[in-house]
Amino acid sequence: MTDYAFLLDLGRCIGCEACVAACKTGNELPTDLQFIQISEKSTGTFPDVTSLVLNHRCFHCTNAACVEVCPTGALYKEDGLTRLNREACSGCSYCVDACPFGVPQIYDGFSSKCDGCAEVVKAGGTPWCVKTCPNHALMYDTRENILAAAQNRLEALKGRYPDARIYGETEAGGLGMIVVMPDKPEAFDLPENPEPAFVIKAWQDLVQPVSAALTGLSIVVTGALAIIARRNHMQELARFEEDLAQREVAEATAGDSSQETTAEKEEV
Amino acid sequence: MARVKLQITRRAFMKSALAGGGGLAMAGLGAGAGLAAPPARIIDGEPGWFYRGEIKRTYNYCDMCPWRCGVIVESVNGQVYKIDGNPADPKSRGMLCARGQGGVSFMYDPDRLQAPMVRTGERGEGKFQEVTWTEALDQAAEKIQAIADEYGPESIAIFGHTSGDFWLTDYFAQAFGTPNAAKPSASLCTSPREEASTLTFGLPVGGHEPVDWDYLKCLTLIGSHIGEDSRNTLMQDYTNAWARGAKVIVVDPRMSTVASKADYWLPIKPGTDTALLLAWMNVIINENRYDAEYVAEWTEGFEALKAHVQAFTPEWAAGITELPAELIAETARVMADNAPQAVIMPGRHTTWYGNDTQRMRAEYLINSLLGAYGRQGGFYFNKSPYIESYPHPPFLVKGTSGGCSAGPSEDVANAPLPAGPTGKHRADGVREDFLRGATAMQELIDPMISGEPYPIKGLIVYGVNLLNSIPDTERTKEALKKLDFVLVIDVLPQEHVAWADIVLPEATYLERYDELWTVAHKTPYIAMREPAVEPLYDTKPAWWMARELGLRLDMDKYFKWQDIEEYLNTRLMSVGSSLDKMREQNGVIIQKGKPYFEDYGNKSPFHTKSKKIELFAHELELAGLGGLPVYEEIEQPPDGYMRLLYGRHPVHTFAKTQNTPVLHALYPENEVWINEDLAAAQGFKDGDMVWLENQDGARSGPVRVKATQRIRKDAVYLVHGFGQNAPGLSRANGKGASDTKLETRYALDPISGGAGMRVNFVHLVKEA
Repeated sequence: MTDYAFLLDLGRCIGCEACVAACKTGNELPTDLQFIQISEKSTGTFPDVTSLVLNHRCFHCTNAACVEVCPTGALYKEDGLTRLNREACSGCSYCVDACPFGVPQIYDGFSSKCDGCAEVVKAGGTPWCVKTCPNHALMYDTRENILAAAQNRLEALKGRYPDARIYGETEAGGLGMIVVMPDKPEAFDLPENPEPAFVIKAWQDLVQPVSAALTGLSIVVTGALAIIARRNHMQELARFEEDLAQREVAEATAGDSSQETTAEKEEV
Repeated sequence: MARVKLQITRRAFMKSALAGGGGLAMAGLGAGAGLAAPPARIIDGEPGWFYRGEIKRTYNYCDMCPWRCGVIVESVNGQVYKIDGNPADPKSRGMLCARGQGGVSFMYDPDRLQAPMVRTGERGEGKFQEVTWTEALDQAAEKIQAIADEYGPESIAIFGHTSGDFWLTDYFAQAFGTPNAAKPSASLCTSPREEASTLTFGLPVGGHEPVDWDYLKCLTLIGSHIGEDSRNTLMQDYTNAWARGAKVIVVDPRMSTVASKADYWLPIKPGTDTALLLAWMNVIINENRYDAEYVAEWTEGFEALKAHVQAFTPEWAAGITELPAELIAETARVMADNAPQAVIMPGRHTTWYGNDTQRMRAEYLINSLLGAYGRQGGFYFNKSPYIESYPHPPFLVKGTSGGCSAGPSEDVANAPLPAGPTGKHRADGVREDFLRGATAMQELIDPMISGEPYPIKGLIVYGVNLLNSIPDTERTKEALKKLDFVLVIDVLPQEHVAWADIVLPEATYLERYDELWTVAHKTPYIAMREPAVEPLYDTKPAWWMARELGLRLDMDKYFKWQDIEEYLNTRLMSVGSSLDKMREQNGVIIQKGKPYFEDYGNKSPFHTKSKKIELFAHELELAGLGGLPVYEEIEQPPDGYMRLLYGRHPVHTFAKTQNTPVLHALYPENEVWINEDLAAAQGFKDGDMVWLENQDGARSGPVRVKATQRIRKDAVYLVHGFGQNAPGLSRANGKGASDTKLETRYALDPISGGAGMRVNFVHLVKEA
């Protein structure tokens, strides 16, 4: 299996949002949903200002927290990228909480995020964002080729930005979105070490085993209760039939026996 | 709920695919065979549009901005789904900006005008009744004829913009005989750069600034904000040059995105650019950093220029521009060190302060001192593609609107102005109020009110958002009230549509054939437009409307062609092509250009009188406008006010795309950029909603405050095109603030007739 990856060159990205619009139209996303967010971040005081273009999107982690927490398998890894089968999603939103980058969103009740244009790529095309990017800030290729391209981009960028670096080669087990950035990750609001959110650790170390145990227990308990309930039900049915028979007998034998019958019933 | 429905949809699809209807056309995506079932589309589980049937591809050139990139439009089963750049097109090269991607959404905007209408209420009220095309055209022709009979055809003004404007402002206007046809792309945008270029080189800039990007080593931008102004080719070329290590110098009172990535950002005091340019010349000349050989061979007037700039030292400019003198000198040296692969890019919107042609000339003089023109890595000479016009009898008046490119400068001042059939020439005051250039749209408003120099009684508006582009909107409304007849052709119910007597709804660029797009370029080329689908609703293309009006106005001889395909094929025959051949050749015809000096042999590529670059402009000197550029102080904002600057957002074009659903979602309203410290001192913070009030009390808003360190304290900045008052635009109506409505005055450029609009001052107010 060959792993594929994207290249995102934040040196070249000029924030034009062509990728955002191409993604929205190509994937027929609803008007109020987008998988790529462009924003700016400025620091300093006029005129000594630094302003950066932020280009936020799914980073396609190899050790993808969203995939690990997904209870239904709706999120899964394929060709190195993180796919989403929305029809299998239960809308539990664990992925939203787990993602170290804050990427998945619940839209119309179910998880939604970039799936690397799975469908387009499988049809032999290029992901929409990559195809249209006028600044050549995006690429899509085998992860190996992307890492090589990133190295070239980095060399070029270092002339202007000595702190430039590649992000995603090893982070989170390696990202499927290799980012060439002119500054440190935190300058772009990205974690130096994208750790899964606390919740995923809790999920892996505690909740998952405990809940597995609880699930088992609950099956046992439910089963037991069901058996008990059924036994009670059957007993009741039997008593009712018995009761009916007795009443018929009583009616047949006449006399003032209703009081007696009631008392007898209460006793049971 | 939704999921149940969608599962059914998908199952139904699979069933039909299995039943033999599944001709899954993925060829366009380059897919091989062998995909058993399409994977689910991410949102609703339905297969992607490219699996729903055969993909039909049509060639087009984008109409979402005036740049007009070549595109391929993809549709399936009569529905347009996707537009991407045409890889064979010299402008798009297979890529497209956000606006271009939004073209599909523009076409399917449910707010579109859907049928011809006639006004039933007062002008401006927006009350209309739908009529048939025959009724609408008969009535329009009758009104136009009545005005022409009483006052002459010159009394009909025609304003046009976007790519169908050729049919009205150029073809119809010239055939009908009115010289009063104008485009906002001239006097509200490019006139100063065009006139400065014609005066200096005898050549227009043309649409596409001829920067020889691939070899460029130093780029200077004055106010141009590539990236926010998202012209596709410019972004591609700029980013490639930047990544290659070309030096970038950005002069802008605001830290634009491009300034944030530049090697030098010069946050200049607004309105002082010419002082900076003169100081740069001072350094380049006095430090002998100019290209002496080039200057001797190709320029005229150097000694005069040298004497002229002696007083304009970096220290002198520092006091004016509020930039450090060392920075001024250093940037001049950076340019010179990289010459001739160093250019100051002219930019496009150059109507700023009213003295704009002189500023543009100063830019060109520096480029000339650096020897950039006609040299690899500087500016190439662009060339228009060869192709014949459709044969027609001589027009009644020639060269009406002038568009972006006015002619060469030979004896312009003395040449007779083109006149209409009753002997009247342009009513915009050319030769009296300003020297030369394309028809000045804003100067045609007064004649509608005053009747001077002669009355303009009728107005045809094609694709111009009148009340969100021409400054002094109250004056425009007064003119609209006075006219005998207003015909509006548009795609959307824009603000000015409410002022029409008759409204004709146009089919978008995706639904029509159109005139060929002939592009002056390094490689001259011709692009085609063909419909991807039939027009939606009861809409028609402009060529059809112009022809139908023409036939009703006894202009049959100009409209001999029966349909547009005949017209286009006749033209294409002159270059040995046809629509069919063009389709086989990726939708473009590319010709050889003549970019450099060596392509001209012994001839000069410059079309000035001297056949050289005229550093000293005799024509301006004769007219008393100064043969060499000088710095003129402009009025400064009063206490408590800031200069209103404006520009672009990458997902929007003019006041055209704000209502387009996909683009609206990305940037639904503008913000007013204000220096963060200044905002705090005035009691405002980021995110506050405020109104803007100008020096004359005009207000616009409410608009959100963007408190930032990225702008000077003497200016605020708005993205243009918002604050529209058009109830028919369900998304854009009332969103944000309008720079146009705060431009109650403008400064007329005495050379080009451009309307300098950065002469208005505003302050922030808390309540409406």
